[in-house]
Amino acid sequence: MGDMLAWLLFFFILIGLLILVVYQLMCLADLEFDYINPYDSASRINQVILPEFITEGVLCFLYLVTGHWIMALFGIPYLYYNVRLYMRRQHLIDVTEIFNQLDWEKKKRLFKLGYLVFLLFLSLFWLIYSALEDDE
Amino acid sequence: MGTEDPNRAYIPSRPAPSPFAATQSIRPNLLTRPMAGPDASVFRPTPPPQQTSTPFSSSGPVGSGPAIRPNMHPALLTTTPFSSAGPVSGSETHEFRPSYSARSIAPSTNVLPPPSGPPTSGPFQRFPSPQFPSTTQVPPPQTSPAVQPFFSPPTRPHISTGPTVPPPQTINTMPSCMNIPNSAVDSSIFAPRPNLQSSFSQRGPSNFARGTMQSAYQAYPGKQPPVVTQPPPVKSAAFVSHQENYHASPPPGPTPYLSPQSVYGAPPVAPSTGPFSREQMRPTGSGPPLGPAQGLIEDFSSLTVGSVPGSFDSGIDPKALPRPLDGDVKPKSFADMYPMNSDSRYIRLTTSAIPNSQSLVSRWHLPLGAVVCPLAEAPVGEEVPVVNFASMGIIRCRRCRTYVNPYVTFTDSGRKWKCNICALLNDVPPEYYAPLDATGRRNDLDQRPELSKGSVEFVAPPEYMVRPPMPTLYFFLIDVSVSAVRSGMIQVVAETIKSCLDRLPGSSRTQIGFITYDSTIHFYNIKSSLTQPQMMVVSDLDDMFVPLPDDLLVNLSESRSVVEALVDSLPSMFQDNVNVESAFGPALKAAFMIMSQLGGKLLVFQNTLPSLGVGRLRLRGDDIRVYGTDKEHTSRIPEDPFYKQMAADFTKYQISANVYAFSDKYNDVASLGILAKYTGGQLYYYPSFQSAIQKEKLRHELARDLTRETAWEAVMRIRCGKGVRFTSYHGNFMLRSTDLLALPAVDCDKAYAMQLSLEDTLLTTQTVYFQVALLYTSSNGERRIRVHTMAAPVVAELGEMYRQADTGAIVSLLSRLAIEKSLSYKLEEARNSILLRLVKALREYRNLYAVQHRVGNRMIYPESLKFLPLYALAIFKSTPLRGGYGDVQLDERCAAGYTIMALPVNKLLKLLYPTLVRIDEHLVKALQKTDEFKNICKALPLTAESLDSRGLYLFDDGFRFVIWFGKMLSPNIAMNLLGDDFTTDYSRVSLSERDNEMSRKLMHLLQTFRECDPSYYQLCHLVRQGEQPREGFFMLANLVEDQVGGMNGYVDWIQQIHRQIQQNA
Repeated sequence: MGDMLAWLLFFFILIGLLILVVYQLMCLADLEFDYINPYDSASRINQVILPEFITEGVLCFLYLVTGHWIMALFGIPYLYYNVRLYMRRQHLIDVTEIFNQLDWEKKKRLFKLGYLVFLLFLSLFWLIYSALEDDE
Repeated sequence: MGTEDPNRAYIPSRPAPSPFAATQSIRPNLLTRPMAGPDASVFRPTPPPQQTSTPFSSSGPVGSGPAIRPNMHPALLTTTPFSSAGPVSGSETHEFRPSYSARSIAPSTNVLPPPSGPPTSGPFQRFPSPQFPSTTQVPPPQTSPAVQPFFSPPTRPHISTGPTVPPPQTINTMPSCMNIPNSAVDSSIFAPRPNLQSSFSQRGPSNFARGTMQSAYQAYPGKQPPVVTQPPPVKSAAFVSHQENYHASPPPGPTPYLSPQSVYGAPPVAPSTGPFSREQMRPTGSGPPLGPAQGLIEDFSSLTVGSVPGSFDSGIDPKALPRPLDGDVKPKSFADMYPMNSDSRYIRLTTSAIPNSQSLVSRWHLPLGAVVCPLAEAPVGEEVPVVNFASMGIIRCRRCRTYVNPYVTFTDSGRKWKCNICALLNDVPPEYYAPLDATGRRNDLDQRPELSKGSVEFVAPPEYMVRPPMPTLYFFLIDVSVSAVRSGMIQVVAETIKSCLDRLPGSSRTQIGFITYDSTIHFYNIKSSLTQPQMMVVSDLDDMFVPLPDDLLVNLSESRSVVEALVDSLPSMFQDNVNVESAFGPALKAAFMIMSQLGGKLLVFQNTLPSLGVGRLRLRGDDIRVYGTDKEHTSRIPEDPFYKQMAADFTKYQISANVYAFSDKYNDVASLGILAKYTGGQLYYYPSFQSAIQKEKLRHELARDLTRETAWEAVMRIRCGKGVRFTSYHGNFMLRSTDLLALPAVDCDKAYAMQLSLEDTLLTTQTVYFQVALLYTSSNGERRIRVHTMAAPVVAELGEMYRQADTGAIVSLLSRLAIEKSLSYKLEEARNSILLRLVKALREYRNLYAVQHRVGNRMIYPESLKFLPLYALAIFKSTPLRGGYGDVQLDERCAAGYTIMALPVNKLLKLLYPTLVRIDEHLVKALQKTDEFKNICKALPLTAESLDSRGLYLFDDGFRFVIWFGKMLSPNIAMNLLGDDFTTDYSRVSLSERDNEMSRKLMHLLQTFRECDPSYYQLCHLVRQGEQPREGFFMLANLVEDQVGGMNGYVDWIQQIHRQIQQNA
């Protein structure tokens, strides 16, 4: 039962992460089509970048403490990338150069999105699996 | 706490960045573009009246007029800040802000309070002074003259001067082209050409050559581009006769290629001549290659490189190398082709022939783009005409928002016009209607400059304003720390400001303000009611606030006497200052708080490394160990994100920062310059400034900065036809949306470069149009739109692109790209990227002709790009990219980089290949008329061999003069010019006019040179031959053709390029 609850928790955390990344992507897309100006876009994205990083870190940590070390391994590349960006102080969007970096920033987030979806499916699988196991 | 209230009341009250709405109104339908469905109709802009509403609705919380500018009349609000800003007056209750004090600026009472001490006095001592009757300033209603200069309809004289068939007698003198070995190869590849043969079959003499020529083509079919729709035209007038050694460049003057473009690029405005010329041109347009001299004429220039392998002789005759001794030569044929295009001083394309396919673009390895200088200075008589549509509203395309221009066509007997960029049929407003004549021309064409001139200026109606046009505003932020005092900078700056007060643009609306700073920030109350300015010192750097927010920025004409008093007393006030600190960041923030209401120009005079408060910088220095590693570039980019953020905020509130950096030590120009870069400003750098020496330079450049015509709160967009798109922009500005440049201030000394890419794989149109639109507020408070329109033909052939290339624009783009690259990569890589592009381009060009002509070991290049290798070499050796650690000081390197990023084409070319002239003969000769000037300005090649030790030379790169005294120069001359100092160390001698003919002549000469290029002051450096290291630094290192410190000389450079071209050729 506890295992299932843990998977449920992971599932919601992942959903939260997905939302954060999709939000950033939306801001970038809006910027590209000139719905919002670069100042707003950059500040909106920058607002959610640290929450995203921290949530992802927490997720990894939770995987580890609940003993799902394979899932933790899956999460580590993502975490490492985030930490590296943070250490180089490149994690925030630079409002002055936002248009030159637009393509790269979008690509980066699309990749993250794909990765998160992959993790989500894994979690979902384990969630159902553990639910069925509980049933028996 | 309450401390923030006074600020808050003023700064963020503009709810949304107002300029955005201005933006939108330029092209509101940008929003609708991505939407395809019926929903879009809500946003679809309808004719003018509604245009204003759309931008607002889409740009969100832009309030109505009064909300946008709550403080338009400062006087109305003077009381509010203090009622809300309690802590300012009752400062003892707030222990964290104890240091606020106020005092008057009588020099005698000039005692700085200890930075953290208690307030020395009550809130403000004001000297009761007679209230000056303040003149109410009413912006004069600007009605620009509606009557425009009269233009005669452009005729197209060149039609008759199309390429003529080469004279038949050349047949007899063609020795070399006849040796075409094999003739019968599959002629099916030659299919696209049949029209050639048919077209010249009428021509008698040509028939003779046909066989030969045809076989020549058939023999080498592989080299013909498969999609040739148009034969490679040959310069008919500029016959470059084939010589053994090299090709003398064709006679100067109008470039001969008048070209078949006019066939397919016939501007629609001249329909009468269009079809006619088409008929006329067809035979000749496709004619050139069929001339009997086909093999004789080469379509390219060439240099023989490498004689015998292994010999030391390079085989290059150094004298034969092409040199741009005439300076910047603008491509003339293009201007003749499209007489209605905007002048090349405003916009230059890197090649005037736009490639029609992606594959063609990828074979053109040079940058494809444009360099735009929207406000370039026009010579007298060629000013941009001003058009006022008044109530009619500006005529623009409904869909793409293109402004009406000479290339639009009127149809339906004048009731509709077709946009030349998006081909949409628009209605002509009834007020604008004019009947068409038989040829489809409007009857009133002559009275309408917007229909006959490529560059016009529209007076913008109120729809183009988000707020009332701002007044011109100058704010000075002056460092008064000890080094600034010692160098004499304050003195010069104060004097210059005072002398310019009368000449500031904007007449009676001009606003002005001052802040000085060392370890504290000093504000100046210069309200018109005072007799003496009041100084207020704020030393709480962490929580910046502005005392008296309303009286720090005042109307100049009202407060003139107070401002003068302040400027007069500035130098003496701080002459004993021994403070070494610099709270630059907090001072910037304070200036931002004061200026954010209106925007304007912020002039920063920074003398020491910012050491206190936010934005303090470390002495990063130049570390030799990082050179050559991946971290090399980090010293060239700003370290603290504070400056970038500040720059972004400045742009948002229409503030443009001009940074004057003076320092004898490291000043982190890389960080300071970013302020200018993103705010459309400019960086001036005066290394180890000493007022005794560099006074004139600072004075001139500051005066020019203050008095030149400036466009305020501007945005610029460049539109282009379907299928092409501008993708990247390079220069001093900030991008506000993907294609909108935000320029808080623009003037004639700024140019912007941009790169072009094709969206579609194939362009189907025959002509591509570009339109630059700059929406700005002029100094007299009028909103205007300057529009430059340009047409360029689309070609299907690489050779044509090369033929129409513009070296100046290419060099400008190449150098900007390289400098940008040097900010994220090693210098080495930045330089190599240029070399690589150059080699690839020339190799591609060689492949075009390699088989057809026997190029052997000659290096071939298009006539239009003959100077490109030399300029590339000059970029290699230019200050931002030269060498490595020891070659250039880091600050100097960064400053030069920022400067080049904003430099117009002609000035850049002069900086890269400076002028060297010999002047002693001129000085000795008797006085002659001034038209002699042209003769003495015979520029010499930039090599040490040009320097004769008996001569006196002047070296001018647009930024400084170097006068080089030969060793054997007659002492008479030196004595006349320098007086008795002529034997001493020249570093301490300054040139001044002496009482003799020769000296006067020299000064007159220098004056003439300076007038040619007034944007910078050329300070004179004197150098004697053999006087090291000065000679090396000022002169020898700048002789770009010589081999200096590990960098190639010109001959070696050509050889290196040639070798690389031949590898994998």
